[in-house]
Amino acid sequence: MSQTTQLLFKNRKPGETIFLKEFSANGGYQGLKTAVGTMTPEEVRELVKASALRGRGGAGFPTGVKWGFFPADKPGTKYLVCNCDEMEPGTYKDGVLLQADPHQLIEGMILSAFALQTQVGYIFIRYAYEKQAENLRRAITEATEAGYLGKNILGSGFDFELHVHGSAGRYILGEETALLNGLEGIRPNPRLKPPFPAVRGLFGQPTTVNNVETLANIPHIVTGGAQWFKDLALTPDGSGTKLFGLSGHLNCTECFELPVGITLHEVINKYGQGMWKNKQFKACLPGGASTPYLTREHMGVPLDFASLEQVGSRFGTAGVTAFDEDTCMVAVTLNLIAFFARESCGWCTPCRDGLTMVRWLLETLESGKGTREHLEMLKDQLANISGKSFCALAEGAMGPVAGLLNHFEQEIVDHIDRGHCPFNK
Amino acid sequence: MITLTADIVRSTNKKLTMPTLTIDNQTITVPEGKTILEAAEALGIVVPHFCYHKDLGAVGSCRMCAVTVHTGPMPGLKMACLIPVEEGMVVTTGDDASATFRERVGEWLMLNHPHDCPVCDEGGECQLQEMTISSGHGIRRYKGDKGTYTNQDLGPYVAQEMNRCIQCYRCARTYKDYCGGRDFGVMGSRNRVFFGRFKDGMLESDFSGNLVDVCPTGVFTDRTFRFKSRSWDLEQADSVCPHCAVGCATIPGGRLRELQRVCSGDNPQVNASFICDRGRFGSGYASHPERPRQARHKDQNISVEDALTLLESQIRTAVQQHGPEAVLLLGSDRASLETNWLLQRTAKHFGCRVPVLNAHARRHQTAQIAAFDFSDRLASLEDVRNSDLVLVFGVDPLAEAPLLALALRQMVRKQGRVLLYDPRPVELPCEFDHQAFSPAGLQELLENGGVEGRHLRDLLGQAQRPVIVAGADLLGPLGLQSLHAWASGASNAERSCQVYPVLAGANSFGTALLSLPEQDDLLTRLESGKVKALICVETDPLLEAPHGERFSAALAQVDNLVVMDYLPTPLSTNAGLFIPTCPPVEDSGTFINNEGRLRRFRQVIKPGLSLARTGAGEHPSREFTLITPGGDPLPAALVLQRLIRQEQELSELHRHLAEDQPRLKELPTITPGAPGKRVKPAVTRPQKTDKLPEQPAGTFQLVVSPARYGSDLFSRFAAKLAPRLTSTRLYLHPDDLFERGLKDGEKAVVETDFGSFRLTVASRPGMAAGCALVENNGDCPQLIPGAGLSYCHIAPGGADE
Repeated sequence: MSQTTQLLFKNRKPGETIFLKEFSANGGYQGLKTAVGTMTPEEVRELVKASALRGRGGAGFPTGVKWGFFPADKPGTKYLVCNCDEMEPGTYKDGVLLQADPHQLIEGMILSAFALQTQVGYIFIRYAYEKQAENLRRAITEATEAGYLGKNILGSGFDFELHVHGSAGRYILGEETALLNGLEGIRPNPRLKPPFPAVRGLFGQPTTVNNVETLANIPHIVTGGAQWFKDLALTPDGSGTKLFGLSGHLNCTECFELPVGITLHEVINKYGQGMWKNKQFKACLPGGASTPYLTREHMGVPLDFASLEQVGSRFGTAGVTAFDEDTCMVAVTLNLIAFFARESCGWCTPCRDGLTMVRWLLETLESGKGTREHLEMLKDQLANISGKSFCALAEGAMGPVAGLLNHFEQEIVDHIDRGHCPFNK
Repeated sequence: MITLTADIVRSTNKKLTMPTLTIDNQTITVPEGKTILEAAEALGIVVPHFCYHKDLGAVGSCRMCAVTVHTGPMPGLKMACLIPVEEGMVVTTGDDASATFRERVGEWLMLNHPHDCPVCDEGGECQLQEMTISSGHGIRRYKGDKGTYTNQDLGPYVAQEMNRCIQCYRCARTYKDYCGGRDFGVMGSRNRVFFGRFKDGMLESDFSGNLVDVCPTGVFTDRTFRFKSRSWDLEQADSVCPHCAVGCATIPGGRLRELQRVCSGDNPQVNASFICDRGRFGSGYASHPERPRQARHKDQNISVEDALTLLESQIRTAVQQHGPEAVLLLGSDRASLETNWLLQRTAKHFGCRVPVLNAHARRHQTAQIAAFDFSDRLASLEDVRNSDLVLVFGVDPLAEAPLLALALRQMVRKQGRVLLYDPRPVELPCEFDHQAFSPAGLQELLENGGVEGRHLRDLLGQAQRPVIVAGADLLGPLGLQSLHAWASGASNAERSCQVYPVLAGANSFGTALLSLPEQDDLLTRLESGKVKALICVETDPLLEAPHGERFSAALAQVDNLVVMDYLPTPLSTNAGLFIPTCPPVEDSGTFINNEGRLRRFRQVIKPGLSLARTGAGEHPSREFTLITPGGDPLPAALVLQRLIRQEQELSELHRHLAEDQPRLKELPTITPGAPGKRVKPAVTRPQKTDKLPEQPAGTFQLVVSPARYGSDLFSRFAAKLAPRLTSTRLYLHPDDLFERGLKDGEKAVVETDFGSFRLTVASRPGMAAGCALVENNGDCPQLIPGAGLSYCHIAPGGADE
């Protein structure tokens, strides 16, 4: 168990789901009561802005800034959408949270809806999270019965209704505008931006889409204060705690709530309890499948948005997947690219066909049939796909390729020189 | 420095700024809201693109149009189709970054594309080929497996070859988004997306053929044209669709003396870049096997020269013996402006009375209201597309003016509103409010208004860019005149309430404009008994005007019946003297469409029996002669000029026409393929209007509507349209059906002023009660739309023998 202050996992019990009774007993819905009872929506928004909370869904956009674009004070139908389509390989923190304590999200959403003055909310949940969806539905019923949801919440005159909507099950639905299309029942291609969802979102109305963990943090910011929340992080410009989902070649692959800014060394060796089978650490994905690799040289890097960007990677979802010394990074990258190429929605050319090309190049290189020309082509594909596709899917897909070329180019050359994969003994 | 005209300024009523930007060291000023791609195009700089289409807009999916923006808040590689121009913007299209990226996009798009160009049906007009070359991609480096697909059978009109697909999404955006079709779309994901139907079957949309035009490569091709010709072998020219009065731009293509296909032309004011299937696949009339191609006197085939000599003497004799009344020259709303005007000239030449330019007297009257009363407030289809409120009275757009239906869809997509008043169970490819008023109820609404009328007038008053669509056939002169008052009432100093009249024939407006006030109607003149020679030019009153029985009876007193036509109509077979003429694709001339727009068409092919027929399916005849088999037909305008011995070049003719008719001042300046200019406005011309007849007890109001296919004579003689033809039914409201003790599918006898018909009844919940609806597609030729309000009796028709 982690020694950090536990916010989201404070009620977590192995193998159990906490519902309203226990949640309330442990201070649940205090944040909501404080906000609705003593604060204006604008004050809540200012507080969130001051807390420097950054989106926990992967992109890390400052939540307060995103909310600042939202026309909260304009009359009319507006929507709050929770992105719970957690499909990123190596990322399972939202699933764990909702399995442990679904009211965390419900309270966070009601509070956020109050701050943004939205009347309707949707939780768009991954198709495989059947259990979690069940938990949420039960939590919604409980919250409604307790007067936290529905009409005139806690006597404030504020109304909010919340619905759970199952995803049809493709990775692209995690992209916020594709998610909105999916929610509307149309083909989930990403939408052109601008207009951004804050202007024209769900059913053409202003909409904010936030990640589960982001929303669940809001009540804690309200109860604890912005500075307290900021101080939870170990880096000066970081803020709050983060759910780290460990996976890969570690002795312990669990989900922990740890302070933002914790070093990779501590995550791998303390919480992950070191590499399995007494092997050496080779590399890891720091924040899900779409983040460039970190290597042994990055062990001292604090895991936060800014510091990881400095070393050419991204904090992402903090789903840390570790690889041991005997792992072929070309094969890992191929495996990841195969996933992304399969999950492309087929809308834009660099993603639909470019990733196909990259997958073929990696297949060729991994099989040992590749040449230096193929290596050059791979670099060229990276330069022409990253940042040039319609949405972030292809850019994310190329993250591991960027990491591979930055840190393991020699490994590719070994494949070419030997004519086979050096790890295939 | 080049300036792009602000064509959108008028429609938005908003002052726009005109930013100036630099693209590849060239400066251009364009209206605000235009994109870099549009600005580059105006400069003549080619930026390769796929998903951007002039009328479908930009979606940014293909990523082909990448350019580098060097200034502004977001410099870097950008998609030219998505970035609106800004003042002082500097853009390059040929820099390394964007050129390399475009080359990569070209390579990616071609990963799965087969190397079947030499045998591909798109060969010679493949945009993919052009864009790939302009992207710089040449040699495929990808050696992996290519994706392959199983094709679908999409019916007789559109062939699918999915392996060639490059996933530009234009087809789905055209079929679903632009045209409102529901049975075709995108399926699957990643590099396996599939564009097709849920299962095999004929495409349901009346605009399905547009897939052929918008597909940049050989996925969707014209199945009726497949394997006939290479596009570069075709004789093509800018033409105008003759099937209805919308006047869409088309580009027909012919080869070996056969009209083989019709593609959509581009007219931003009228049809944008789309046409309907009736216009596209309804071209068979020109090569109809029974098309009369030989001049004939009684039962003798003669030469056209002999026929003209004979005709001249018949006219002169009749005028000399019986006076100017004795010769009746009859024009037509499917004949060109030039032909109709030459008829007037011919009458003058021989000293005959003023010609009758349209056999259908009531249609002619309504067309005159459109051409005169409405002439200062005519809306174009582009105005309809940009309108925020359209009131439609008495029109079934998909049957009478299909592209109007598409225009309505576009305005609804832009949050506009359509309110439609019509007795028929009208369908539209968009959301709209339909009130099923009977014809009499509609007249009442338009004349006296009541609560509903007041409400509608209020809406018109509040709208920013209101348009009234007026169906001439159903409303008649009375209804159109009421609407004229509505439109005037709803106009103010800032903006005018425009009217889009829906007329019947390609040149209804033109014949109305040319017609002289002293022109009488056909039956009045024939029934006076004074007519000795009747010369029908490209019209058959038996098929195109009501009261055919009166016409037939009156014919008995006519000594000489002369017919000039290109369709195998009953009248042409009965004519004493017949002279073959040419359909618009074999002629150059002008139509004036619903919106008073001069639409020029140019000759595509020369007349003649197609080689496919002279060769009887075998190798074409190896006998070489100077005479083209079946090549006798001449354009009617030329026939008339020879008759009066005044042959002129078309330009000369246009000059005379413009001098004679000041409203056609612009005619000499208009070229085929150009959007075409509007005729000059005119003062109102008084029309006599009849009161509505009283409804006898126990009768139904008879509504004769054009069928979507087979109502106009062109499509009735077009074999390709057969799969879309429906059999004639008597449609009744379910309540009426119940009250008369009839059941769906039973026979009923309907007794009308035009004859008695035994038809299968069908229940249509969406139509007005108290009405009997029959669609005109040739099954009951006596029932002609636009004949005015009449009543009919309905009785059970008993079982089949």
